[in-house]
Amino acid sequence: MEQLFSALLQLFEINHLAFLFAGTLLGLVVGILPGMGGTSGLALVLPFVFTLEPSHALAMMIGVLAPTTTSDTFPAVLMGVPGTAGSQATVMDGFPLAKKGMAARALSAAFTSSLLGGIFGALILSISIYYAVPIIMAFGFGEQFLLVVLALLMVGALTGENFIKGVTACFLGLIIGSIGTAPITGDPRFTFNSLYLIEGVPLVVVGLGLFAIPEIVGLLDSKGAIAKTLKNEKGWILGIQDVFRNWFLVLRCSTLGCLVGALPGLGGTVVDWIAYSHLKQTSKDTSQFGKGDIRGVIAPESANNAKEGGALIPTLIFGIPGSGNKVLLLGGFVLIGIEPGLDMVTTNLDLTYLMIWSLAIANILAAGLCIGFASHISKFTLVPYYILAPVMVCLIFFATFNINRDWYDFIGLLGFGLIGITFKNFGWSRPALLIGFFLSTKVELLSYQTHAVYGFSFIYRPVSIILIILCLATILLLLKQKFDSNYNSENINNKKHQILFVLFLLFLPLTMIWLTSSLDYRANLFPISLSIITIILLIFVLFVKFADLREINSFENSIMRFANTNIYERGRGFNNQLYYYSSFIGYLAMNFIFGFPLASVFFINLFILYHNGNAYKVSLTIAAVMMLILWMLSSLLTLQFPNGLIGLIVDMPWWLGGRLN
Amino acid sequence: MYRLFVLFTAAFLSISSTAYASVDFSGKTITWVVPFKEGGGTSRFARFIQPFLTKYLPGNPDIQVMHIPGGGAIKGSNYFQKNAVPDGTFIFGCSTSVIVNVATGNPLVEYNLSEYRPVLLLPQNTHWFTRSDLVNEPHDMSKLIERDLVLYALKTPASADLFHIWVFDKLGLKGAKPIPGLSSSGGYQAFLRGEIHISSHGAANYVKKVKPEIDKGKIVDLMTLGIIDADGTVSRNPLAPNAPTFPEMYEKINGEKLAGDDLEAFYSIGAAWSQASKSMLLPQGTPDEIVQAFRDAATKMVNDPEFKEKATKALGPFPLIIGEEAGAIVKKAAIFSDKTKEQLNDVLKKNRFTYRVK
Repeated sequence: MEQLFSALLQLFEINHLAFLFAGTLLGLVVGILPGMGGTSGLALVLPFVFTLEPSHALAMMIGVLAPTTTSDTFPAVLMGVPGTAGSQATVMDGFPLAKKGMAARALSAAFTSSLLGGIFGALILSISIYYAVPIIMAFGFGEQFLLVVLALLMVGALTGENFIKGVTACFLGLIIGSIGTAPITGDPRFTFNSLYLIEGVPLVVVGLGLFAIPEIVGLLDSKGAIAKTLKNEKGWILGIQDVFRNWFLVLRCSTLGCLVGALPGLGGTVVDWIAYSHLKQTSKDTSQFGKGDIRGVIAPESANNAKEGGALIPTLIFGIPGSGNKVLLLGGFVLIGIEPGLDMVTTNLDLTYLMIWSLAIANILAAGLCIGFASHISKFTLVPYYILAPVMVCLIFFATFNINRDWYDFIGLLGFGLIGITFKNFGWSRPALLIGFFLSTKVELLSYQTHAVYGFSFIYRPVSIILIILCLATILLLLKQKFDSNYNSENINNKKHQILFVLFLLFLPLTMIWLTSSLDYRANLFPISLSIITIILLIFVLFVKFADLREINSFENSIMRFANTNIYERGRGFNNQLYYYSSFIGYLAMNFIFGFPLASVFFINLFILYHNGNAYKVSLTIAAVMMLILWMLSSLLTLQFPNGLIGLIVDMPWWLGGRLN
Repeated sequence: MYRLFVLFTAAFLSISSTAYASVDFSGKTITWVVPFKEGGGTSRFARFIQPFLTKYLPGNPDIQVMHIPGGGAIKGSNYFQKNAVPDGTFIFGCSTSVIVNVATGNPLVEYNLSEYRPVLLLPQNTHWFTRSDLVNEPHDMSKLIERDLVLYALKTPASADLFHIWVFDKLGLKGAKPIPGLSSSGGYQAFLRGEIHISSHGAANYVKKVKPEIDKGKIVDLMTLGIIDADGTVSRNPLAPNAPTFPEMYEKINGEKLAGDDLEAFYSIGAAWSQASKSMLLPQGTPDEIVQAFRDAATKMVNDPEFKEKATKALGPFPLIIGEEAGAIVKKAAIFSDKTKEQLNDVLKKNRFTYRVK
């Protein structure tokens, strides 16, 4: 108890507040940009947090995560585009409300319920931390193994709209995660005798590649939906009143959000829909849903913010990410030297409380800023994407380079970027890939450890049985809910490309088998079994894709639904997006020749001028501001810019990419 | 007048500095390469020492810590080998795993560690302990030796944890079986849950986490690695003065003193694992007067009241090793004799690992 309040006092030291505030502002901005969410935001700050003290770094990371699901309401309500995956359901009633001229009411209701949900989540988290020690002690290797496997199953089954592709994405992630030194024998796997891959693919590269790059090209492709402006809007008070009139709904949806968030692996993309359908099932008057019912905003918003606190429970006590963005948070823990588990509720309890307080305060800050400065903040939705995109690309490159200062990271970034774009357009789950990738080593080790300690008897332990039943029931229940949608193969685009992509994906498991077959069985059992399962799954997907191509609709409708494109991740302009993507390769080439600072100035100017030939004032200003910020960052944190070929010939000063001393 | 004064002072200063030390770093920046991620033990070690070095090195140079993680610490170490200029402007932050990469003959290693010039070493010590229901009394392993299965944590055989296998083998634990993939903190958690039987920790975590449980009677000490002095004698660890050292335990169980190949292997392992746990080295070929300037600065640092006050908390309870003695230790740790390698490969084979020391 004492630590609870000393953590609060610690947080109110000026430094902590400053980092928390900086994180919150960044989180707000990332939340507003459609598609960008906590995952991209954290991936951006991760390469820099190591220079901070652990407690500052934690305040900053939580600051980035907490407000994204608050500010994502701006695009959801004003443009009808979800700001993050967690606000898809908010669009259902939020956008109609805005069309009726009640945008202010919808926004203030959303922010207030976000705030209440977020604080509820923080409260539940602090209560469960109090009881965590016996839980941790009851979870041996076997129980942890089950927890991880069920996390993977859930994220695979539920983050896309279909089961098979979600699970396949998980398995692909597991295979990518098994690249590097085999944890049991120390044999190198899939490393081609290079140093780069010996510790596996860096997490930040995967995170930025899979999440940030696809969203940026997606933004460019959408050319900007017309956003409503918030001038002279009234109804701010009314929205807050709406929330308090529906206080019981807020409480129920927050509880729901917390519970779903606490299920390992899940959270994020489904919780808003679960809350929305709960609302529909429990309401008497359903006539206004989808046409602008304020309750349709309150329910998902309170749930998707409450899930943050819930999702931190498995993250902190087991190191199993509660949702996609918690993977990056765990990556940050490694960087600042914190290990999740027992320490978090004993010797590092002060840090845990610091995170809980940060979560609560960041939520209050975010809601306060969103309501107080709504008309200013909403202008972010008006900034043309061709201005935002190059700036974001430069930031991503800068962040990527500072992970390992390795050029291979750029290749990894663009490689995973391409995978991310394709995954997004062809309906494969990116969270499943990321979580599979992250948990791979854990699955391998836990299976080995469980076997060594228990053999197969671990399944009969009471906690194991409860876990199996609990999670299977959840999966069945949620799957049933998803089967309500209709399937029609005519709605699917790029059918031929989709088949080619599946064939391309087959390369990964096949190469893995080929490269590891000569190793000791303890080094190759895991990757080879994964590969075989993946091949079987991919062949199944291939078969369904062929059926699509031929428009064979004689299959049972449900089978097709089981294994096809999901409705939330379907892009229209795949080819356009590839076109934008190719400009990033050009930027990488420029980096390689001129070094990062010069290349960035060229890239920002070229990119903006290409889209708007008259905007040279804007482009020059933005490039200048960008470089000033980067120079400041790099001299503060002694970071180095990527040096190009020119730098090898001519001795460059540090601010153009030369050596630091 | 003013200009004259400045000139005069400058001349005086330059004379006085040549009189006391020919080495001067004024206006220079020293790069301290750490081949690990930020936030790790070696990084914290470097960041703690950095301000004191600036204070005591002639000319008070700026020191910046440059992290180059990756490739199991090999990437940064190779970078240092290729780029470090031996004029005192480059320092290397080394740790057990950097040494073990060399000692076990990792083919990717390009750095010539045994020729580096050590400035100071920060020793560490290992404590082994078990649950009280598994032994008759503290420091008594006879019940464990008879057990069919004694599980213990092992991160990976291709790391310094490999020495655990050797230790338990030499003590004749027939049922000893490593559980791979467990960090020391993960292993300790599994130990508390009753899933593994013997666990170990370094000094800091021993004091913070294990000591309270020992006081409650749940855990008992088995032994410590022991503190190896310059003349090769091994004394007990002041943090657990009643616990026998490894050589004592060896003698108690095997009935004879640790000697011959076993003793040689113990010295190498002890050097890598304990004495040179963290270290600060200058590159190969750094002139003697520069090495001496660094060692002098380190000696002054150790006597700084602020350092004395903070060092135990930040670095642990064991005094730093400074000077020529450090060089011998690093050599011993980095170059394993063929006999020692053979011993390690034997125990690896016994435990059915495919990994081999080369």
